[in-house]
Amino acid sequence: MEWANDGKSRGGVLAHLERLEIQVNRSRKNSEDLQRAQAVEGTLRTKIHKLRCLRDELRAEAKQRQARVKASAANVEPDQTLEISEQEVAERRRENVKAILRAYRFTGLSGKLTSRGVCVCISTAFEGNLLDSYFVDLVIQKPLRIHHHSIPVFIPLEEISAKYLQTNIQHFLFCLCEYLNAYAGRKYQADRLQSDFAAFLAGPLRRNSLCNLLSFTYKVEPRGQSVPFCARLLYKDLTTTLPTDVTVTYEGTDALSPSLEEQRASHENLFFSKPLHQVFTSFARKGEKLDMSLVS
Amino acid sequence: MDAQQAEVRALEAEIAALRRACEEPRTAGEDNWRAQKSLREMYQSDSEGWASSKDLRSHLGHLESELLFLSTLTGISIRNYSMKTEVLRNTEKTEKSITKVLQRHRLSGNCQMITFQLEFQILEIQNKESLSSVITDLNIIMEPTEYSELSEFVSRAEERRDLLMFFRSLHFFVEWCEYRKRTFEHFKEKYPEVVQLPEGAASSCMVVRSARRPGFELVIVWRVQMDEEGKVLPKLDLLPKAPQQALELDRNRVLETAPLSFRALLGVLGIEAALESLIKSLCTADPS
Repeated sequence: MEWANDGKSRGGVLAHLERLEIQVNRSRKNSEDLQRAQAVEGTLRTKIHKLRCLRDELRAEAKQRQARVKASAANVEPDQTLEISEQEVAERRRENVKAILRAYRFTGLSGKLTSRGVCVCISTAFEGNLLDSYFVDLVIQKPLRIHHHSIPVFIPLEEISAKYLQTNIQHFLFCLCEYLNAYAGRKYQADRLQSDFAAFLAGPLRRNSLCNLLSFTYKVEPRGQSVPFCARLLYKDLTTTLPTDVTVTYEGTDALSPSLEEQRASHENLFFSKPLHQVFTSFARKGEKLDMSLVS
Repeated sequence: MDAQQAEVRALEAEIAALRRACEEPRTAGEDNWRAQKSLREMYQSDSEGWASSKDLRSHLGHLESELLFLSTLTGISIRNYSMKTEVLRNTEKTEKSITKVLQRHRLSGNCQMITFQLEFQILEIQNKESLSSVITDLNIIMEPTEYSELSEFVSRAEERRDLLMFFRSLHFFVEWCEYRKRTFEHFKEKYPEVVQLPEGAASSCMVVRSARRPGFELVIVWRVQMDEEGKVLPKLDLLPKAPQQALELDRNRVLETAPLSFRALLGVLGIEAALESLIKSLCTADPS
């Protein structure tokens, strides 16, 4: 038996079998590849399909957005737009008005409307110092009446309201304002004298609640040997913060020397023309000057 | 397959881009639309929603009527107000219980035809016993007006830091000026040929002249002044003018004493009646 020696098949059957095996493997591989390829293609196809769907969805959403933006720009729903900005505007205006209402206290008169009428607040000040405020609660009825108030009892409220309340509320309130501010100013001066210049007082400061009658004994130099003077200040005009009557006297039996008499008279003038605490400030300054001259 | 893969890549890219577009920060229009929509839904579902918007409006209306009341009462219209607060560092080591607060206020408005702008500072000192509030600085800017009396008044108010006096006096000053204007206009209307207002009704001068009495002239100067305390007072003066002949004939020295007599007349009759009587005196024997 002769084995044929051709290039294709060597080894005869074995080789043939080998060839066959390779062929099968190859074809199996091919088919596997094909399958795999087909599978991949399949998944790709599915993927593409899914992607296409997703893309279409997103495209639709993007279109909707555009449409909405266009619609709002074209004021498709004008009423609702106005609603919001009106609200904001009203809010801002409210805050502004509330602030302005608070600021009215700097004019001397402020207040609130009440269910009965109005509650007016009167602010007082003296020389830039903001002092107490008082209120008057008015009932708007015929006749106009005061529901309640915080005006001190020594302020002639009944007199003032009898004169003006029924005919002219503005005048009534301005008048009250004048009395209260004057009282606050006088009280401030008396308080300052007691607290800041106690060293100059040789006894207690006697004062009435209206602070329009003050009497005290004082020395120009707190530590020195100066003569004590008695001062009596009367403020007849309740709408002023400076006295209408001033008497400065010397507590003693001996007659005053001319220089002391001069001093006494000038003090009287000072009390007439300057607020009380300012008079004592000038005494203190003079005292300082004297001290300095002694030192030098 | 390459084509498919290419398609896949293209689709993925487009999707990514679309996603980015959909996540972009919303435009104002978009926000507005969303807000409208949600608000509408909110109000439609909750009837109280409408009430709160109405509440706001009625509250605002109430506040505005308070404002109208106060501006009518004080004569001052405040249009704008703001305040800033600053807590000052306590540099004094001895008193730790003292707090100091500096407030800066800005206020603007008008009193009839006069507009003002104020800037002032208030120092609040709180110690154990009390709270003190002091105006430490006051700056007043008024629109330039023909009222020269105002500039002196403004510098006095600034010097004294007397804010309350500033407002009170301003109100009375303006009231007096308005009254003067109305009075002058009234007389001009009633006696058109005799009364002249050479500088207008808002000025301080009224001239009474009669064609039948040439050479005679009564000049009334009415100034509105403010004193040291801030009190506003009218000050009227009469300046008579007469031809030389009349002066020579005036044995009773009526013309000389006219200014003083006028003051007395004012005290007795008041301003309007005194002016009327003056005008009439020059018009006597006139058939009209």
